[in-house]
Amino acid sequence: MFLSNVIERNRVHENADVLQGTLDLLILKAVSLEAMHGWGISQRIQQFSSGVLEVNQGSLYPALHRLVKRRWLEASWGTSENNRRARFYKLTAAGKKQLVEETATWRRFSGAVDAVLAIN
Amino acid sequence: MRLIDRLLKRDPDADLTDELRFHLEMEAKKLRDTGLAPDAARQEARRRLGGVDKYTEELRDVRGGRGWDAFVQDARYALRVSRRFPAFTLIVVATLGIAIGANTAIFSVVNATLLRPLPYPNGDRLALLYSNNVPNSIPRFSVSYADYLDWRAQTRSFTDMAAYTGGSLTLQTDDAPLRLSAWNVTSNFFDVGGVQPHIGRFFHDKSPPSETSSEVILAYDLWQRQFAGDPSIVGRSIRFASGTRSVIGVLPKSFDLDGRRNIDAVIVLDPQSIPNVADHGQHMVSVIARLKPGITQAAAQADLNVVAKRLAEQFPNGMGAANVFMAQDELVRDLKDPLLVLLAAAALVLLIGCINVANLLLTRSTIREREVALRQALGASRGRLVTQLLVESAELTIAGAALGLIIAYYTLVLIEKLAPPGLLPSTISLDLRVLAFTFGVAVVTTLLVGVWPAFRATSPRLASSLREGGRSGSAGRHALRARRSLVIAETALALVLLVCAGLVIQSLRHLLEIDPGFVAEHVVTMRVNLPGPRYNDSTQVSFFRDLQSRLEGRGGIEAVAAGNTAPISGGGIVTGIRLIGADRPPGEKLVSPVTGVTPGYFRTMGMRLLQGRDVAWSDQLPTIVASQAAVRAYWPGQSPIGKRVGFGRDTIGLEVVGVVNDTRGRGITTDPPPMLYLHYSGVASVARGMTLVVRGPGDVQAITATTRAAVGEIDRTLPLFNVQAATVLIEQSIGQPRLNTTLLSLFAGVALVLAAIGIYGVISYSVTQRSQEIGVRVALGAQRGDVLRLVLREGVGLAAAGVAIGIIGAFFATRLVQSWLFGIEKTDAVTMAATAIGLISIALLASYIPARRATKVDPLVAMRAD
Repeated sequence: MFLSNVIERNRVHENADVLQGTLDLLILKAVSLEAMHGWGISQRIQQFSSGVLEVNQGSLYPALHRLVKRRWLEASWGTSENNRRARFYKLTAAGKKQLVEETATWRRFSGAVDAVLAIN
Repeated sequence: MRLIDRLLKRDPDADLTDELRFHLEMEAKKLRDTGLAPDAARQEARRRLGGVDKYTEELRDVRGGRGWDAFVQDARYALRVSRRFPAFTLIVVATLGIAIGANTAIFSVVNATLLRPLPYPNGDRLALLYSNNVPNSIPRFSVSYADYLDWRAQTRSFTDMAAYTGGSLTLQTDDAPLRLSAWNVTSNFFDVGGVQPHIGRFFHDKSPPSETSSEVILAYDLWQRQFAGDPSIVGRSIRFASGTRSVIGVLPKSFDLDGRRNIDAVIVLDPQSIPNVADHGQHMVSVIARLKPGITQAAAQADLNVVAKRLAEQFPNGMGAANVFMAQDELVRDLKDPLLVLLAAAALVLLIGCINVANLLLTRSTIREREVALRQALGASRGRLVTQLLVESAELTIAGAALGLIIAYYTLVLIEKLAPPGLLPSTISLDLRVLAFTFGVAVVTTLLVGVWPAFRATSPRLASSLREGGRSGSAGRHALRARRSLVIAETALALVLLVCAGLVIQSLRHLLEIDPGFVAEHVVTMRVNLPGPRYNDSTQVSFFRDLQSRLEGRGGIEAVAAGNTAPISGGGIVTGIRLIGADRPPGEKLVSPVTGVTPGYFRTMGMRLLQGRDVAWSDQLPTIVASQAAVRAYWPGQSPIGKRVGFGRDTIGLEVVGVVNDTRGRGITTDPPPMLYLHYSGVASVARGMTLVVRGPGDVQAITATTRAAVGEIDRTLPLFNVQAATVLIEQSIGQPRLNTTLLSLFAGVALVLAAIGIYGVISYSVTQRSQEIGVRVALGAQRGDVLRLVLREGVGLAAAGVAIGIIGAFFATRLVQSWLFGIEKTDAVTMAATAIGLISIALLASYIPARRATKVDPLVAMRAD
């Protein structure tokens, strides 16, 4: 009984949302090459991660607006590839700096986790 | 960004909606490409994105709105939330509506009575002066005209003093004679009161009595009713049974010095109409006085004390003590204490209501933990969230206050229906001041119910609940503890109210069971006035004798007689007496209540003659029948038959011929006084107005018609008035206790229901919280009964804690209703125990519903729930 419970839980967690802190990093990385609209960003992240990381659309837009507010992203209205009005997000200079910092932090963190996992 | 948005008057939300719409289209297109039908694709895209409303709100947190915009947003958001929880909204608004309604209703009465200033210039300096009858503990004893003159001349604290007394006039009209209640006042009366006439003038203080004695002032209502409000009435002469008088003015519409008494006309008091007017023991008038500026009530009292004491030494019949009461306080004397108690009770109901609502808000904030936590994570400041939650509470209380006004309106209808005539002014309404009060209550309520849950809900500790993602974080347990304390508090408050209500309900029952000492059923009372100079002592007596012989046996009327006061009425003659030949302490000043009666009074009233005989028409001198209490007080252990009592200065005395049973004729809650019933011939000079008592099986109308016909045969100018069944008089005398009891019981009932809801709410919540634990217990073999007991024990435990605290509170609170109690102690153990047991039983019942739900917990589901 208890066992089946545990298994069920794990299955639920397999397709976990992108973790809170890492979403910012992924967004910054996604727009680092070119300005993109929100939907494009979500697709890009999924594509990059070969479908493992799925951005919860519910947290994407709040995150985008938060990053704009922190002046790491700049938003402007433009025309999409299929000729629709869409809002494009572009990395700012501060955003670039933040991306570098967060990338370094993430590497340190994942490296540490790897090291711990390697102990076994 | 926002600045530009604002300058271009562009709605930032419109951008957001556009952006999200774009996203939806793209997502739907992608889903269509994978083979989904267009409709299904749109739906799925929408599902993935979530509600647009939710976004707009969350993104506003990110942008950080401020000021009016933020307020409007909050208000809209709160309305949306209300719709999301309809049952919650309904319960909260109903609870607040009832609680605010109760407060508003009682405050409207307070507003129309306690808070209403006297409508005269410097009305706060008007005082009513009384003799203080210390031996009989009657602090408001009528004043003798001789005392009035001496007080007026010798005191220094008053700018002036006026005397007045009730009386009547018979207006001759084309059809039936009309009886008017007319005050007889000294000519300076209106100057002392500071009253201005509606039209015409008042008495000139300097005019000679020969002039003023033929003048009359009409009351506004009478002027409207009888003379169609014709202003040319001033200067006209009108005919009264006692002679012609010229109208000199009309009283202002609002004139009611004592707030209730019906007054039709005012004439000048003729001191010569007072028998033995120079006697300081002839207490016949009321005195009104105006304090000099800067003189306090206490200073005036001290001044009057000195004068009264000196007069008592000078004159043998002087009372020796007097009281100064402020007119403002006197008007509301009967109302003040009960109203304050009811206001306190209403406030307790509101407090209990607030506790319930705060409890519900706490529950909801637990449900909304995730929402709040998410928005905090998105950057909404705590202040912003607290404001928003407070706006939500404010909307609920405003709706509650609106409902409260409606409830208050109907409560006032009920109060006016239950109140005995004359107790309350007719001016009670939901005026601006009441609306302001309700608004104030709503604001306080918002803060009471809103602040704590709002701060709790936004507590930084809760941010963790986003990661926990569950209902059952430590926050849930904290909330439960807080809610338990609240429920204990409200149970305690409810118990206090219930104990008070229980005590006054039993008091009312005792009042209803009191034996008044006479048989009120089938007795109709009506007032008749025999005006001088047409009637004198001997024709007054023969009038009643004639009436009795004509009326008895006619139209089924069994008995008829008259007494100078109606049964169960406060007033009556109280006079100095001496017991002739009795061995009494020297210098003793005995004062006794006296009722003038015609022969047959005891038979008509169904009283029992215990010894001797009734007074008789054939008595040469006025005779006396003593009550049992009088016998105990004046001739303990002796037979009173043949004893003599002197009234005033009389040293020979009148003979006692009989003894009757005690009655509560001077008020149902007043212990039977030592009453001396004196043959009417002995009081005829001071009792021109008499109350006829008529016993017969017919209804009130039939008996009145028969009586009216018989009176008309003797003197067709005599009006009969104040017709009332004796049973109604008794009803009215307990009208105020009945009203108080009804209201207090209503409040206690509401408190009980609210407490039950509170217990139910917290136990339900607790069962939800503990469903996992219960599941484990069931899995480990707990039986249905075990689970039931587990939950019920929690509910009863809360109630018992509340009851224990409440009992302590009740010991203090019942002091407030002590003066309402009759035949029961304020610490009555049976009432307290019964209330406690009752409340715990209700708690048991309220816990039973969630307890049953707990027994249905499926251990599998419960343990997975997290």
